[in-house]
Amino acid sequence: MTVLILTCHQDVTTDLVVAGLHERGVPLVRLDPADLPHDAGLSAEYVRGDFHCHLSVDGRVVSSEALRSIWVRRPGEPAAHAGEPSRWLTAETGQALHGVLYSTTARWMNHPRQAEQARLKPWQLRFAHQSGFAVPPTVVTTFPRVAEQFAAQYGTVVVKSLSGPPRDGPAIALPTALVEPGTDFGGVAACPTLLQRYVPKRADIRLTSVGGRMFAARKAAAPGQVDGRYGDTGGVWEPVDVPDRIARAVREYTDLAGLAFAAFDFAEDAENVWWFLECNQGGQFGFVELETGQPIAGAVADWLARPAPGAP
Amino acid sequence: MRPFVLNYAQQNAVPDVPVPYDYSSALQLNLLPDGRPAISDRVLLLAVGTTTSTAGSQTHFDD
Repeated sequence: MTVLILTCHQDVTTDLVVAGLHERGVPLVRLDPADLPHDAGLSAEYVRGDFHCHLSVDGRVVSSEALRSIWVRRPGEPAAHAGEPSRWLTAETGQALHGVLYSTTARWMNHPRQAEQARLKPWQLRFAHQSGFAVPPTVVTTFPRVAEQFAAQYGTVVVKSLSGPPRDGPAIALPTALVEPGTDFGGVAACPTLLQRYVPKRADIRLTSVGGRMFAARKAAAPGQVDGRYGDTGGVWEPVDVPDRIARAVREYTDLAGLAFAAFDFAEDAENVWWFLECNQGGQFGFVELETGQPIAGAVADWLARPAPGAP
Repeated sequence: MRPFVLNYAQQNAVPDVPVPYDYSSALQLNLLPDGRPAISDRVLLLAVGTTTSTAGSQTHFDD
């Protein structure tokens, strides 16, 4: 039984897991959907009630019946590397690939249906609260007056994008940023805007959940720091124990969301409260493992290596 | 009208520089020029920043 990994070639975080699967003697096929249909291939036949399909990449062939698990790590867009790429070719190729993979009995980390839902920040905040996390007051709005009132009520607020930076045009970063008093909120009318009460933090916490196993790491924050992903804060990531209350909330959240893998970001305040900021269903863990030595890639490999449901 | 959040955009903190390893389809791993797996050099990986939570954020939702 084979593990299928959907990711781009230069994703070295995947390499950590590939090495773990090699150590465990588990066959794997690594496929970037961007390589379909020229540098990789697929074929599916539905004849008299039987469904057979196989994928081919770099001389390896795997049938759908032989897949034990599928890890969606960091795939390229289907057919993006084609000689004449187009949105239509991407759509056609995506239909074929996902139609085939959705038809298997393999276990997913994470299934694209769950992943799509879990990316939605308003959904995250709603279910984080329901799961028992402390969630900072937040508003998502297109009304400048609502944004003004929110900022006036909570004093210091931050703004963050809902979906990350624009994917076309020049490369830019959109870190979480403090909104200065007296700011003109007119631009809120041009795009839904997420504002959140600022949490003064002592540290950033990154908690990675892999099939119920939890790895938490802590990095001390610089005074007044807002987004620890940008700039040098002088801190290093160190392992930290997971409080029982947080562990229960993580289990509740991942069960509700149907996520086998999740990377949670928290802000730790002066009272040692871990405030939920977001949950990245496909979040990076390479930097945490490299700095802390926590065996996250091994946990991913263990999860992927388990047999498919009903397999002998 | 400019979207409010774009008033806080910055130059990308992770410049698009070539990485010092290449993908090996035979091993399904990235290799350094001397043939070692890239993951064997953890100091280098941390230095190039390709495993950080801002890596690739221009093209992927998840960090």
